Amino acid sequence: MPLSRRDFLLRSAGFVSVSAMVPRWAVAGTRMFEESVGAEAASRTLVVLELMGGNDGLNTVIPYTDNAYAQVRSRIGIQAASVLQLSAKLGLNGMAVSGGTTPAMAGLKALWDKNRVAIVEGIGYPNSSLSHFSSRDIWHTADPTLAQRRGWLGRWADAAIGNSANPLSCVAISQSLPRTLLADNVSVPSFVDLATYAYRTDGAYPGDGKNQVNTFVAQSSDPYEIENTVSTISGLGKDAIASSDILQTVRSGYVAGGAYPSGSLGAGMLLIAQIINANVGARILYVTFGGFDNHADEDNTGPNGHNGLLLTVSESIKAFFDDLDAHGKSHDVLLMTWSEFGRRVQDNASRGTDHGTSAPHFVVGDAVNPGIYGDPPGLTSLDRNGNLTIQNDFRSYYGTVLSDWLKADSAAILGSGWPNLGFVNKAYI
Amino acid sequence: MTSVNWTRDAAAHLLRRAGFGGAPSEIDALYAKGLEGAVSSLVDYESIDVASYESALAAKNYNILTTRGIQQWFLDRMAYSPRPLEEKMTYFWNLHWTSGIAKVRGVTLILNQNKTERQYALGKFDDLVVRISQDPAMLVWLDNWLSQAAHPNENYARELMELFTLGVDSGYTQDDVTQVARALTGWTLVRGSYTQTDNYNGATFQDNPAIHDNGAKTILGKTGNWNGAEAIDIILNWSDSRGTKSGRFLAAKLWSFFAYENPSDYVVGQLGAIYDSAGHSVREVVRAIFLSPEFYEAHTRKTWVRSPVEYAVAQVRMLEGTSDFSSAVNSLSAMGQILFNPEDAKGWDWGTSWMNTGTLFARASLSNTYATNRGSTGTRFDAGKLLAGKDASTADKVVDLVADRLNISEVPPDVRAAWIAYMNANDDGSRGAWTNTAANVDKKVRGLVHLMLTSPAFYLA
Repeated sequence: MPLSRRDFLLRSAGFVSVSAMVPRWAVAGTRMFEESVGAEAASRTLVVLELMGGNDGLNTVIPYTDNAYAQVRSRIGIQAASVLQLSAKLGLNGMAVSGGTTPAMAGLKALWDKNRVAIVEGIGYPNSSLSHFSSRDIWHTADPTLAQRRGWLGRWADAAIGNSANPLSCVAISQSLPRTLLADNVSVPSFVDLATYAYRTDGAYPGDGKNQVNTFVAQSSDPYEIENTVSTISGLGKDAIASSDILQTVRSGYVAGGAYPSGSLGAGMLLIAQIINANVGARILYVTFGGFDNHADEDNTGPNGHNGLLLTVSESIKAFFDDLDAHGKSHDVLLMTWSEFGRRVQDNASRGTDHGTSAPHFVVGDAVNPGIYGDPPGLTSLDRNGNLTIQNDFRSYYGTVLSDWLKADSAAILGSGWPNLGFVNKAYI
Repeated sequence: MTSVNWTRDAAAHLLRRAGFGGAPSEIDALYAKGLEGAVSSLVDYESIDVASYESALAAKNYNILTTRGIQQWFLDRMAYSPRPLEEKMTYFWNLHWTSGIAKVRGVTLILNQNKTERQYALGKFDDLVVRISQDPAMLVWLDNWLSQAAHPNENYARELMELFTLGVDSGYTQDDVTQVARALTGWTLVRGSYTQTDNYNGATFQDNPAIHDNGAKTILGKTGNWNGAEAIDIILNWSDSRGTKSGRFLAAKLWSFFAYENPSDYVVGQLGAIYDSAGHSVREVVRAIFLSPEFYEAHTRKTWVRSPVEYAVAQVRMLEGTSDFSSAVNSLSAMGQILFNPEDAKGWDWGTSWMNTGTLFARASLSNTYATNRGSTGTRFDAGKLLAGKDASTADKVVDLVADRLNISEVPPDVRAAWIAYMNANDDGSRGAWTNTAANVDKKVRGLVHLMLTSPAFYLA
């Protein structure tokens, strides 16, 4: 059931009594957002999972009946026998990783079997840049000309959330702020784990730490009567401590309803589930996971080989949705993946793959229209660099999420003319 | 006409803005010079000998073949150079038009651009604009090296006028952009060792007549077979009844950087006139800013939000700390400013956009690492030295001493009271009493420094 605003206020009020701090922004920000999109959409969260480095789509969603695949990937390809079949033509990577027996993408296959996965084939943009940096910026800004400063979800946030001042409306579990969330008016904290989203004090004198935190709050609370800039930043420390306090509090005693894998992505997805369950008005939660720039030894059987990375991704997503199910939150969450490019069709001489163009991506949640959007990759009609052509422009991918999940004016954010791909269930639109 | 009320606080303000702040002894020395002497000592910095600093810097062996190394190298200069304004101006140009390492992919090119910005920092604006327009990193960053007569690329021509010299509302048209792009064709690169997977290191500027557009161009109303230098000359001398537009554009930006944002037309007009009469001298505009009474008014002080870079540098410089800037470099990304890697050609926004709860904690984490470092490597300061020779017998005296050291004495009474309470507090929060012992200095003075560095007062210069 979607939360009504009344539910939200009740829940957050109950929560505030735990933290003993009043998050003025948590209530006010949600109210403003709710008024603009309606109560149901206002309770929704979008989770964005960035696969950094350029994920090899051909070894992720495998065209296992295409003879051309067996030829170009004779060395590092996934054998048909190791594929988790989705259709007569496509299947997920089912390779086991050393030290375990779980097929790499068994978790996503389980979600697929519950009609909770949409796969969009061949996503990219025209005249692909094969540079990590340029292509990432293009994906972040949704602008191949790189004229946009703000990210595509930053533009969404400015329009939908504005100056709500809720420091947890958009959060990035990332070393630095992903440009996707660069906004003019919405402040987006980024941190890798909660240990860094806190006011650290002197490790040599732990007994003095509480005094320091209390003094930090006190010195941040008094509006300075000098200039506007000062009053803007003088309350920030208080908000930072309040939001950190809330997150630390919700974390303690949290019972995860899913088996998250060890490592940064499992920890990040758990943290995202915890933020969602804190009911603090989080709208966009962003997490990065790296290691996909597999120029060499892509097929190594360890955890950092491509199969191992996919295992981590798949198990993390599965655990995350198990956890949401256990907390009654699946209805309110949609997850999408992206990566700056796919990889070269023909593998290279180092048992790896070089930079490519289009790739499939995943949309996961109760709200999807399950299925595969687009055809299997055309391995025999490549561009002059030996790369795949584009089936679905990434702005269609983004636009479908914007208009159908976030209830936003996608044309205002992305420009018009990007066909809706239809992967969000009509019951949610 | 008011005159400047030259006080020690005014000298401290000048040093914060013209440099990155200083130790009490530096402020005393600057104050003793009087207004004009102080300003001259900062602005006419060529007379300051840097030989010993340069050799000390070289001895640190920062690896300037890496992004990390040139970040450390520049941070070190900002913190320790005996010419504060030279580094502050270089930093200004860095914010104004630095090229991003992510696209340029050539550490040495970025380092060379920084050196060019330093070499021409206070010279004739025209010289710097030409040098930057021919700078290999910039040629890559804004694509002019790919621009040819047959298919001109407008990227640099547009930003040259919009971001670097005139401003978007100055009145030029899209036609002017196109014509300037044509004039700039031929300013390209010899690619050196560059390959797609390598980087642009080794690329050098080349004026290649074979790809230059030799047709007539009309730029801002003037028609001729202009080349790049002539186009820049036309742009920088484009005038209306109030003088050059480039002068007012640069004056407004310099004033915004050194004093406060959105200066009045009067201030901009006065400074623009100095630019015009002084042959487009950046130095004379900067000197005029620092000599103006308006620069010292209360509403000018403590209004500049320190960028992450300034934040990292100022705390080292003002506490006379020691640093290899390794911890600062590690924190740049989380604080929101990866030096030499802006998101786009516009560079970073200034002001409160630096600050969110995540970057705040990142700043606090950096300062905590600094304040609690008792080792012999990394970023550190001598806590005992802050009180040496001073009356530190009571908590309020210690608070005032350290606040003065960080130039944050003017805080609301509640904040000062909170600091004093901290100094007196026992671990259980109950009220105790500060005593000046080595153990207390190690615990509470370091704690106080961390608090003060993370107070709103210190976010502002």
